[in-house]
Amino acid sequence: MKFFFVYKSLAHPELAGDYVQPFTLDERRAHARQAAKQLGATVPWIVDAMDNRLKHALGDRPNSEFVIDPKGVIVRKRAWSNPAQVRKDLEELVGKVDKVTREEDIKLALAPPVKAAAERGAVPRLKRPRMQAIEMEPVIEPKGLPFYAKLRAEADPEALRTGTGKLYLGFHIDPFHGAHWNNLTPPLKYKLDLPAGAKCSAATAEAAKVKPASDADPREFVLDVENWPTDKPVRLTVTYSACTETACHAVKQEYVLHLRRDRDGGGARGAGAGFWDPDEFAKQMLARDRDGDGKLDRKEVMGLVLPHFEKFDTNGDGVLDAKELRAVSDWLNTHHKPGAPAPVPKK
Amino acid sequence: MRTLALFAVAALFACAPAAPAQPEKKKNEDDFPREKPAVGDKLTDVTVYTPDGKEVKTAELRGHYTVLTFGCLT
Repeated sequence: MKFFFVYKSLAHPELAGDYVQPFTLDERRAHARQAAKQLGATVPWIVDAMDNRLKHALGDRPNSEFVIDPKGVIVRKRAWSNPAQVRKDLEELVGKVDKVTREEDIKLALAPPVKAAAERGAVPRLKRPRMQAIEMEPVIEPKGLPFYAKLRAEADPEALRTGTGKLYLGFHIDPFHGAHWNNLTPPLKYKLDLPAGAKCSAATAEAAKVKPASDADPREFVLDVENWPTDKPVRLTVTYSACTETACHAVKQEYVLHLRRDRDGGGARGAGAGFWDPDEFAKQMLARDRDGDGKLDRKEVMGLVLPHFEKFDTNGDGVLDAKELRAVSDWLNTHHKPGAPAPVPKK
Repeated sequence: MRTLALFAVAALFACAPAAPAQPEKKKNEDDFPREKPAVGDKLTDVTVYTPDGKEVKTAELRGHYTVLTFGCLT
């Protein structure tokens, strides 16, 4: 019996740790090594290729789970990992074990996320509701500097559909390179080379000056674009100065942007806070209340909540009510932080 | 068995708290069992990597029962 985690593209960039999508396989492998540290588990990781071939081949879900038999045949699959169900699967397939180890028996050596090289919070974040990642290719020079700051490009549904709408450009410091902005030099500046006929409210722009000498906040822009043909890529050039512990670098890098949704880009959750409002969360969850009783039974629950249903059902009545669902959001808001407790066991 | 238990706990932390109630994801999740690859299909043979850079062919996973769980840092 073998177990593997498969490291894939980030489901939620900018969440805990302010991680951003890696651009290279080396960077993705560094993510996987960090994931192993943060989880503190002994289950090995394998790393999907940068074209996300294994994710695509197995249904493109963020946390899906498969059991493969010794001949390489898929014998179980589910959209969301469910450890309790995996145990049942394996008992059916290979038999029961004498002693079942419980989750609470295990102490995982959780490590903290990679620390940013400078403070965050000096620059207000921009809101970008309803925006979705669009495909873009960093122009990687074999001997070039790392992408200390990585572009996140998003478009709203109108822009994706018609070529006219909102475009988000966010340049996010990648914590894995140990760099920060150098605010003693001119701020980050970008330039878009638009196709003929296309217009943009800011084809070139410079980020606002930031008071502290260094920081690690993203440099963000929301633009209006007009008549961007969906089949014409846009070239973006960015210049900025970033410092590591050992040196400061004047960086000039390029990207090619495509006006089509990047289905591997993940959802950055609006401003990237990754925070669920408890009332809104409960309301959204209750949208699955098919029998209209104002509560969710197991059949009406899905996703990450399902494996922990009993623990969230604190009054033990077999359903999750609005109060219990609000408590779920509290847990979701913190469970990515290393050391955060699992759901409180039912008393 | 210890490995299984560790796996179970780790999976709890590995997955992103992806919007359990967003309409598009709900539909997709319900559809998942009916989508390809189906139970009974062979695992696609592709090359992936270990965190330290070695190539791994998924075909090499044969010979054991194998549990694959997708995850990421966030």
